[in-house]
Amino acid sequence: MYVESQVATTAPRLPGKLPLTAILLWLGALAASAAPWLPELDLLSVVSAFWSYDGSDYSSVLAHFSWAPRVSIALLIGCGLGLAGAVTQQVLGNPLASPTTLGVEAGGQFGVTLATLFAPALLAFSQDLVAVAGGLLAIGMVVALTWRLGFSPVTVILAGLVITFFMGALNMAFLLIKGEWLGNLFIWGAGSLVQNSWQPFMDLWPRVLILGAALVLLMRPLQLLQLGQASASSLGARVGLLRMLALFLVVLMSATVVSRVGVVAFVGLAAPVLARLLGARTLQERLFWSTLLGGGLLLLADTLAHWASSWGDGSLVPTGTTMALIGGPIILLALQGFKNTHHMPGQESNPGAFLPKRRSVLVTGAVLLCLLLVTFFVSMGWSPGLQDWSWTPITDWGEAWVWRGPRLLAAILAGVCLGLAGSLIQRMTGNVMASPELLGISGGAALVMVLIVLTGTEIGRAGQLGAATLGAAAALGLLILLARRHRFAGNQLLLGGLALYVFMDSGLRLVMASGGTVAAKLLNWMYGATWLISETEALSLLGLTLVICLGLFVAIRPLTLLALGDTSASSLGLPVTRARLGLLVLAAILTAAATVVIGPLSFVGLIAPHLARVLGQQTVGRQMIISALAGGLLLALADYLSRIVIFPSQLPAGLLAALVGGIYFLWGLSRHGRA
Amino acid sequence: MSAFFEVSSLGVRIGDTTIVKDINLDFREGEVTALLGHNGSGKSTLLKVLARQLAPAKGDVRLLGNSKHRTDARQFARTVGYLPQHPPGTDGLTVRELVALGRYPWRGPLGRYTSDDYELIDQAIADTGLTPFRHRSVDTLSGGERQRAWIAMLLAQQTRCLLLDEPISALDVKHQVETLRLVHRLAEERDLTVVVVLHDVDLAARFCDRLVALRGGQLIADGTPQEIMNSGTLETIYGVPMGVMERAPGQWVSYVH
Repeated sequence: MYVESQVATTAPRLPGKLPLTAILLWLGALAASAAPWLPELDLLSVVSAFWSYDGSDYSSVLAHFSWAPRVSIALLIGCGLGLAGAVTQQVLGNPLASPTTLGVEAGGQFGVTLATLFAPALLAFSQDLVAVAGGLLAIGMVVALTWRLGFSPVTVILAGLVITFFMGALNMAFLLIKGEWLGNLFIWGAGSLVQNSWQPFMDLWPRVLILGAALVLLMRPLQLLQLGQASASSLGARVGLLRMLALFLVVLMSATVVSRVGVVAFVGLAAPVLARLLGARTLQERLFWSTLLGGGLLLLADTLAHWASSWGDGSLVPTGTTMALIGGPIILLALQGFKNTHHMPGQESNPGAFLPKRRSVLVTGAVLLCLLLVTFFVSMGWSPGLQDWSWTPITDWGEAWVWRGPRLLAAILAGVCLGLAGSLIQRMTGNVMASPELLGISGGAALVMVLIVLTGTEIGRAGQLGAATLGAAAALGLLILLARRHRFAGNQLLLGGLALYVFMDSGLRLVMASGGTVAAKLLNWMYGATWLISETEALSLLGLTLVICLGLFVAIRPLTLLALGDTSASSLGLPVTRARLGLLVLAAILTAAATVVIGPLSFVGLIAPHLARVLGQQTVGRQMIISALAGGLLLALADYLSRIVIFPSQLPAGLLAALVGGIYFLWGLSRHGRA
Repeated sequence: MSAFFEVSSLGVRIGDTTIVKDINLDFREGEVTALLGHNGSGKSTLLKVLARQLAPAKGDVRLLGNSKHRTDARQFARTVGYLPQHPPGTDGLTVRELVALGRYPWRGPLGRYTSDDYELIDQAIADTGLTPFRHRSVDTLSGGERQRAWIAMLLAQQTRCLLLDEPISALDVKHQVETLRLVHRLAEERDLTVVVVLHDVDLAARFCDRLVALRGGQLIADGTPQEIMNSGTLETIYGVPMGVMERAPGQWVSYVH
């Protein structure tokens, strides 16, 4: 009945580069891994190291009990995580989802941290148990929060991201309070595959195999998810149950791995992405090739880590770190490569934005200002002493200022900067989930700082600020470049941010693993130790903030216009490219100024603009004013609390803000779902 | 003809908004029914309730005399097929692979596809005229071809009832007519019950046995094309003054004054 105009084509075949890459990856990684042994052993005995050894030859014993199990376990874990990642992507209908993104690995790590500190006996009984419990806790929170929104992929990833950061902050809090117990946890946390017997491998392989088989059995129902929730359920699949079951298996798989070797973050994300980039099309192909590529990738990363450890000054380089170095670029490549992520399978439209009633900016502003002043007075005056709580009389404030003033001022200013930067970035990207922290812009600034510490150069505060600004601008610029093609869709931005975060995190772990005095200093800075601030620094920050605020007055209208899209904005006479560049620089300076003081992980840049919206400020200018005040208030409170919570010791204010902020945000997300 | 769906005092609310209120309606077996109404009148919502995509706040929908949630999901999918208004992107699936998914309700997660299944799949592709495209990726097809691919999937599902939400919105006139003719023919051959949301009232009158119109979530007209196709009724449905001409028996042309 239809006119047959087209010539029939044959069924699409698997592109040859896929098996070729997989084979090359495996062979290359195996060869590189075996290379150091070849001078001591001949090829045959290197290969036979996997099943036997020559008791009279020391290298042969070493190869059998150290090298061969390490290679085997890297391959096994890589395969398992690759498969788990591919399944996660299918379940969430999101090409960039993975166990890492869902907070599973952070949760598992949190479980092990808690057990190490409070119930070491449990750890001896079963490592899996605590890690699985932690992983389930994390994913349970994600599921509970996003249940009402029908697991919409962007929300799931957002919740997972917040939980990852949140659990990371909790881990850090424990580390700072009980650091002496947790030193090894850092190396473990970064994923070290060093082995000294076959026992762990023998323990692990049946579990991975069983879980893998269970996941493969779910293949056909999983395929239906590709058609979207409506069609999948009208074909008779129980979508909710299916997603739960598959995610449960994924948690088991990742937590089992995490409990053995720690967080190997990027395999589950990079392997499926690579398979997809190389042309794996159907679900079967994707599952199969992600599994293989995962094994190859992890072995390669592990080999690199091994080489780096032996070439470097003998300090241990964890595999998780090198994996991040390999995985990061693949993710960024993928962000660039995916064309139609707007129509990813199963992706529903976002839940309708909720718009609270508009309120007067004057009243809201005045209330916030009053609260800020009250906090200021209380923070300056009311504090615990050696005996008791007491008021410092106002006449003695001159002396108290030296101790309490600069850090308080700096905290408030950092809050103001983050509030402004958050609003700015949200408006620039037109995405309410965008924030300096989640998008990795703070992470970019922090990465530069970590690098500076790593190289051991001393450049002073101004130099730090400059370097951090550069890092923030680079991160933001990169994101804008990447996300522009997708019109700043949530996924791309958030995952780009995650990639940057993991980069930064692995750099930090590298510093921590190498130990030394810089490590503790860096850790305190990362989590926003405001006590490091001097008076001149606080005052110069004040000056900088005031100047930028003036600049922002000019920016309000262009920002409003940019929200209409490039075409409309330029036809209204706005020089779009120049406006974007200017705003980019402003946002980067603001973020950097705040990051230098409060560290990259405070969540204030996410919460303050959100709070401003909740308080009924919808237009650009109003949102900025209220969000700046709210940010200042939040960090002033956090700074005060950080001084008194575990008096006479101190917690970094940024960490406190992150903990409180994480809770607020999760609560807000669940409320959003109900609305 | 017995009732396929019995809708009794149905009400649907989303948040605080009432989308559909108090609808009583039977859909008879083997009948092609068009749902008419302007945007936001509750047509798609009614269809979603029939497809069990949406739970009603009030009232009941009986399928072949059985109340809701009695039948298992796959059992239901063997009886009723549903095409959503905006099918999502399919991420690299070829037409044939997409259509093959329509056999899921019959084969389940692990059952083997037999040669019968493949025959049905190829038949469905041939029926929708997609044979030349069967190995093309669905995402690379034009809007109309993509819509036909989804309809082919529904055909391979071999259900007794099709619920189609604006199946011809992306098609040109030729394919609109051919798709509706196909649906009509299949309904006759296989005694299918079809409920289809349409915007083009003339095509609806030409190819459907019965027209049902909603406005503001309420039933305002229900009858054969003969009964509905007059200027008075159309004016109530769409809220603009309209006229109707009958060019030949069963062929109406409506126009806006």
